[in-house]
Amino acid sequence: MNKAEIYVRGWGAVTSLGWSAPESARQLIAGNVRLAAVGNSPHLTNRELKAFEVPFPGNPLDKSMNMLESVLEEAFRRANLSAKEIAESCVIVGTTGGLFIRNEYEFTEAVHQNPDQESPAISCRNRGPGEVAELIVNKYKINGMVMTLSMACVSSSHALVVAADLLRREKVRRAIVVGFEPLLNMTLHGFASLLLFDDDQCRPFCAKRAGMQIGEGAAAVILESGELTGATYKFAGGHLYNDIKSMTSAGLDGVTVCNVVQETLALAQVSINHLVAIKAHGTGTRDNDLSEGRGLVKLFGDKLPPVVSLKGAVGHSLGAAGAVETAVWLSCCEQGCLPRSFGFSEIDPEIGFAPSQANIAAKDGAYLFTFFGFGGTCTSYLIIKE
Amino acid sequence: MEMNTIDKQINPQSILSVISASHIGPSLVLDQDAHWKENELPLNADRLVNEVMGQPMRRAGRFIKMVACGGLSCLKKVSPGYLNGKKTGIFLATGLGNVDEIMPFITEVFKKGGGFPSPNQFANSVSNAAAFVLARICEVTGTVLTISQEELSFETALWMAQGYLESGQIELALVGGCDIFTPTVEEYRERVNLSDKNSREFPMGEGSSWLLLGRDEQENIGDILAVGFSDKSRVSEDGSSNVGRIAGMIPQDNETLKKNRILLPGFRMKKTAADDWRQHGWRVEDYLPCCGIHSTAAAFGIARTLQEKSNTLFLHYNGQTSDRQAFVLGTTK
Repeated sequence: MNKAEIYVRGWGAVTSLGWSAPESARQLIAGNVRLAAVGNSPHLTNRELKAFEVPFPGNPLDKSMNMLESVLEEAFRRANLSAKEIAESCVIVGTTGGLFIRNEYEFTEAVHQNPDQESPAISCRNRGPGEVAELIVNKYKINGMVMTLSMACVSSSHALVVAADLLRREKVRRAIVVGFEPLLNMTLHGFASLLLFDDDQCRPFCAKRAGMQIGEGAAAVILESGELTGATYKFAGGHLYNDIKSMTSAGLDGVTVCNVVQETLALAQVSINHLVAIKAHGTGTRDNDLSEGRGLVKLFGDKLPPVVSLKGAVGHSLGAAGAVETAVWLSCCEQGCLPRSFGFSEIDPEIGFAPSQANIAAKDGAYLFTFFGFGGTCTSYLIIKE
Repeated sequence: MEMNTIDKQINPQSILSVISASHIGPSLVLDQDAHWKENELPLNADRLVNEVMGQPMRRAGRFIKMVACGGLSCLKKVSPGYLNGKKTGIFLATGLGNVDEIMPFITEVFKKGGGFPSPNQFANSVSNAAAFVLARICEVTGTVLTISQEELSFETALWMAQGYLESGQIELALVGGCDIFTPTVEEYRERVNLSDKNSREFPMGEGSSWLLLGRDEQENIGDILAVGFSDKSRVSEDGSSNVGRIAGMIPQDNETLKKNRILLPGFRMKKTAADDWRQHGWRVEDYLPCCGIHSTAAAFGIARTLQEKSNTLFLHYNGQTSDRQAFVLGTTK
């Protein structure tokens, strides 16, 4: 183990499949995956839009706070971090909605409790995306550097690469990367207004795909450099790219995706022959899957390793997707098995491959993670299981 | 490493050259302290857009317009093609993001009986939409980050840019802070988490202020010597216990800089703290009357100082309600 190398020391996740990363992984591997459904939470105003909702008996604000606490406690426990180590860590949060859930919950509660009154216009009372990080540092008495990346769907995947950069440059000692995305009316209606929802099912890379479905989720991933006893997962480099050609897709010809992944492999000095599998972004939208699929085929050709999108099973957790999918994937690796890519039934001839349709062994080797977000943002990184 | 960098000497590797700067305050007049009134905000940004962009931005809201105008006006101060062939990063700091477009969007979402949420407003409301627009104008494809950390957003973005420049990953960094006034004043104050006890008494404002940074640049208007953070376990609540530490960082060989030292107090910095600094030889220069309180007001104060003061050592100091503090130490030519 090289001192300059960066390892994943701990992780935790909450998804619609479970309140821990191993639980979500177990359900994925066992194939116990439910389709997205109309949300139960009392703050949701629309009874048609389907999503992958985290089950919880209480109100949505309490749920969100519990999700945040749960992923951090799980990650700290797994990493066996002392209070001192937590305190000296850097915190990087990736989120789009932040604590907007409080706004939505308080407003809908006020309306529910006053059914005979004219409802007031909703106000925007939250303190911006940075509020989540402040909540974390105050609760755990963290003195390290604190920041929030609010960059749509790549918020926490970018945060992981930025954290690795800071570790490599010895700017921080340890990084706690958090992805946090409660289920919001704002994002449900937003993507619906953009006509990006598949009302039926999220079907990544499938010819029948018609859009995405949102998944509620939160996760924490702890990165650290240097000598770590028992560390298995090396964060072997990442690449950030900003595509200025289009705000909404990473180029339908696949060139941008191909270049981003190629650069990632080059930075990590990993050959395409050494990839075990690809955890693709795979949102189920026409454009994302076309540009990503074409890009992967362009680069890998007939050497394309198994491709898995988790979004057919847990939905798209937007700014939290990077941390959530990394944490769940690592728990799958720990359980020795990678799940199949859910929601697929028919090859799209414009893409030309089927994502992995059977569980496969999580062998030692390199795993590629890709994320492509709104605003031309592209992230990819490698995690090597040793 | 990480926090508590305040007691370290300035690392020559970390000094940043400020190649150009621009500041826009609530009057929406470029690089000037024009008159403005809180109760007349927000002003229409179309004249500013035409002046800076040369054409209207019809589908963009005020936040995106302000980011684009601020960033581009900073770049216009260097020769055309200055960025050509240089690896450039964009670091957009915002405390609140694009509330201007979030508000009408969610109003429609929650309208009784169902409203008509605008897809364009939703797309624009995503925080990094503004950075995308600016990156496209500047043709920047490398590191583009939208960073938010309440009232320390700009300092955090500056710290990040410093690290990227120091590592050589980029050669130039366009770093800016933008937050816009969104009615009502009361709700805006709540969003910025203001109370009589935790902030100075100034009207609310807005701004988009930018620095183009590099390293070892010949044509610079000043330098950023250090960006530091400290936590509540290390400093007094008002920051005054940092006076000595920061004094130890100041270049000792420049007599002019020793005399011309100004403190730019952020909006969380209490009056008592400013008095303490004054006693240690710092002249207080209040920039907040020129831009009003907003989460990234620090960007305005620093950019304005770099443009208007000569031969000056400046220190911007601000805190956070959680008692974290940040400083930016720099010099002007």
